[in-house]
Amino acid sequence: MVNLTIDGKQVAVEKDATIYDAAKACGIKIPILCHDKKLHPFGGCRMCLVEVEQMKGRLIPACTTPVTEGMIVQTTTDEIVKARKLVLELLLLKHPIDCPVCDAAGDCDLQNLTYEYKVNMNRFVDEKFNHEIDYENPLIERDMNRCIHCGKCARICDEIVSYGAYTFINRGIEAKMGTEFDGPLNCEFCGSCVSVCPVGALNSRPFKFKARWWALQKTKSVCSYCGTGCQLTLGSKDGKVLTTIYDENQGFHNGQLCTRGRFGYQFVNSDKRLTAPLVRKNGKLQEATWEEALAEVTSRLSAGKSDPASVAALATPRLTNEELFLFEKLFRGTVGTDNIDHSAGYAHEALTKGAVASFGVAASPAEIADVQKSNLLLVVKSDAYETHPVIGFEINLGVKRKGIALRIVSDKKGKLTRLPGAKTTVHAPGNEVALFNALCKSVIDQGLAAEGVAGLDALKAAVADASAEKAGVTAEEVAAIAKEFASAEKALIILPIGQGYPGHNAALANAAANLAILTGQYGKEGAGLLIMGEKNNSQGAVDMGIYPKGTGLNAAAIIDGCANGNVKTLFVAGENPVVSYPNRKKVEKALENVEFMVVSDLFLTETAAMADVVLPACSFAEKSGTFTSLGRRVQNVRKAIPAIGLAKSDFEILNALSQALGGARYNNQGEVFTEIAASVPAYKGLTQAGLKDEGAVYPVTLSAKLVPAAAKAAVQAPGKLALVTGSALYHCGTMSRFGEGPMYVCPDAYAELNVADAAALKIAEGDQVTVTSGTGAVKVAAKVGKRVPQGVVFSPYHFGEGSVNTITDGSEVTYVTVAKQ
Amino acid sequence: MSNAPAEEIPAEEIDLTEANEIIDKYLTLPGNLMPVLQGIQDAYGFVPKPTIDLVAERLNVYPSQIYGVLTFYAQFHLKPRGKFIIRVCVGTACHVQGAERITETFFGRLGIGHAETTEDLRYTFEKVACLGACGMAPLAMVNDDTYGKMTVQKVDEIIETYNARPMK
Repeated sequence: MVNLTIDGKQVAVEKDATIYDAAKACGIKIPILCHDKKLHPFGGCRMCLVEVEQMKGRLIPACTTPVTEGMIVQTTTDEIVKARKLVLELLLLKHPIDCPVCDAAGDCDLQNLTYEYKVNMNRFVDEKFNHEIDYENPLIERDMNRCIHCGKCARICDEIVSYGAYTFINRGIEAKMGTEFDGPLNCEFCGSCVSVCPVGALNSRPFKFKARWWALQKTKSVCSYCGTGCQLTLGSKDGKVLTTIYDENQGFHNGQLCTRGRFGYQFVNSDKRLTAPLVRKNGKLQEATWEEALAEVTSRLSAGKSDPASVAALATPRLTNEELFLFEKLFRGTVGTDNIDHSAGYAHEALTKGAVASFGVAASPAEIADVQKSNLLLVVKSDAYETHPVIGFEINLGVKRKGIALRIVSDKKGKLTRLPGAKTTVHAPGNEVALFNALCKSVIDQGLAAEGVAGLDALKAAVADASAEKAGVTAEEVAAIAKEFASAEKALIILPIGQGYPGHNAALANAAANLAILTGQYGKEGAGLLIMGEKNNSQGAVDMGIYPKGTGLNAAAIIDGCANGNVKTLFVAGENPVVSYPNRKKVEKALENVEFMVVSDLFLTETAAMADVVLPACSFAEKSGTFTSLGRRVQNVRKAIPAIGLAKSDFEILNALSQALGGARYNNQGEVFTEIAASVPAYKGLTQAGLKDEGAVYPVTLSAKLVPAAAKAAVQAPGKLALVTGSALYHCGTMSRFGEGPMYVCPDAYAELNVADAAALKIAEGDQVTVTSGTGAVKVAAKVGKRVPQGVVFSPYHFGEGSVNTITDGSEVTYVTVAKQ
Repeated sequence: MSNAPAEEIPAEEIDLTEANEIIDKYLTLPGNLMPVLQGIQDAYGFVPKPTIDLVAERLNVYPSQIYGVLTFYAQFHLKPRGKFIIRVCVGTACHVQGAERITETFFGRLGIGHAETTEDLRYTFEKVACLGACGMAPLAMVNDDTYGKMTVQKVDEIIETYNARPMK
């Protein structure tokens, strides 16, 4: 620790602290424009100038100067104030001062400092800039006339996002923040630059002229897209969510969001939202009252009680824990059926079967915080960035700032594979388990296995046949990864799961866990296995038991049951099987066949359109409750706006049904959480009030066990391409289709091909192609690049039109032909 | 330095062999971006866009950062440059000796202005601040050849001389 005096206050700080940090630690605010706690110090704006007794004769920038023992610092003297005023005058010389029409007004650091330092006149006169404003994209407006050259946008885009869209171009008075070739912004549109811009140079276009900053009601909540569980602040007014507000003190991610979180909120107030219940009459869905709709559902479920096996229920892991708890109680308890499931059944098996067998818990052994505490990250599929972008930021930061080694095993390249020092092993699609088995074998062969691992002999026997060759990679690569992983002080495997990744199943979770257990890389900080659930409450859905536990049907069997008549009543809370479950035609046929289907959803989805009763549900912004992130963090979701139209939250719907069917009735969702805390062991001792803003990570007790995982034999399909599905960066599930932001950047389904395959098939970027498998054919646009290797096609699954589940059947890889139309 | 984007040259017209060789040469050198860009500028006479994309990919540097470097230093050019670079000094000594009339005459004869290139890529014209030979003011240079005590007549002679030179 270093001791110093700031404005007469004694303070002791770490030796790598700056004067700015030290001042902050003792509650003294030094003004800044270019500094951000998340970024490397820059020292560009000169607002933070202070006086240091030992460095008399000049003013010292507080943000870049490290503390030294015995330093005596003055942060406010006449000379300092004069210097800061000069800085502001010089900035205001070029700044347009168009505050009345600037969206940053009220949230502008320059405006606030100008006010604070009473800069009511300017001794200098000069022309303003006359840069063209970039309106080329509908998400981020770039008005470089307002820019004060703090460089934060370029630094955050480089240091955290690792995209590098911005740079200073030209020099001297001509210098400005620009993009490559000074063209329009063309990036990931995560909006990180907008969030850190201290002035109104970078604006969120969807929010432009929507509301003054101070008129917004601010509600702290949790993002409802992926399983990362990013905290966000919703800005709402007049019952509408108008924007997300950046708060650098929110969550592990310091307020950072991806494009979905920042610009995907418009689905909440979409004019496509369902506003009234619908009941099918004479073959058509027609508006009805809640009484009518619920009466119909109640009578069906009531009848189903006498034949519970004929009732099945699917829930989306987007619901709150409280809703899922009610859902489970209603169907497993009151109705008495075990036919309940979520996420197509297979998307949670890495947790509910894989982690359970390997670690004895249906949760990730590791937490999100482990990413940056590790020494080596082994990422399964470069898609981890696309599925969980903010964890991608953590990986970026860890690799670039802390020098964490990054090893990627993937069937394609991606953004992560470009990180400095990243080593990527590209394997043939569907060989994940074979590859991990080969890694385990290599660990054993190299004598790197930790001592006294139980079940080693059984695993040895199980992986005896495994080889790098069978996984389609070189023996050197496997040996190197095995050695690095085993010898790293702390090594963490990152495994994204989800409906787009049928191969990321229980067997892969076991195979990956085997490597961690074999090398002793688990049960300690920065090591283990991070299984990344797809949706905002994927972990909560598992914790609340939304999957068949006894003889009940899983999601696939429920669909089969609908088709063969064994399932007569199907309750669907927010799932969209038609688009997101494998084999669309089969699903559609099954849902047509089921006697009675009720769907609660925000939108009239492809599935809801087939229902007999449709109940309009509430989005996350219209309800309170809790979500559990993939890192086991239970967090408070808070209601920001009243329900849209006549919509009711799933909590209200399920509560009403429960009461009507003779089950329990709760007064509010808080009561349910109390019951969760009492009955779900992991949640023991938690209270909603106790979660506060930061939430709480529930602990897990691991009982590790080697579980041999069988690798499937490689399929030979000469002349065909291997189709792999997955997530596009801008989407999550099928809900993001109703957000304008994601839909602007990525509006349609596509098939991504390697340049060589495209050339052989005479396909160019943007061509309409037909992708045909044994299951069906789908028409999509072609994307051509070097990201996917030769022989592989990638297609994201989120879209209703040209939905890739038309041609997939739930296997890891689908062999297809691609032809230009 | 002009803000205008580099002139569109179809990618297939740029042979990247030389650029690849230059990158190969410096690939393992720390801080290799500057020598690579300088090498490319020497080889191609300017830094064509396809080479920027190539450098970005092979050195794993953001294209935006390369563009930032290229626009920061006056030594880099993003547009094709003439075979003959005419530099006329407009520094103090040359200015009082009538440099203005020399530049105006060049502008008139070549039909281009400051930092511009003739369509046939024969000439690029640049006003410069000082060429370090004030005794010979007003001064002009064409590539490495120096012309002192410039007059309007000499402008025509210079143009005639270089019009006669082969382009290859």
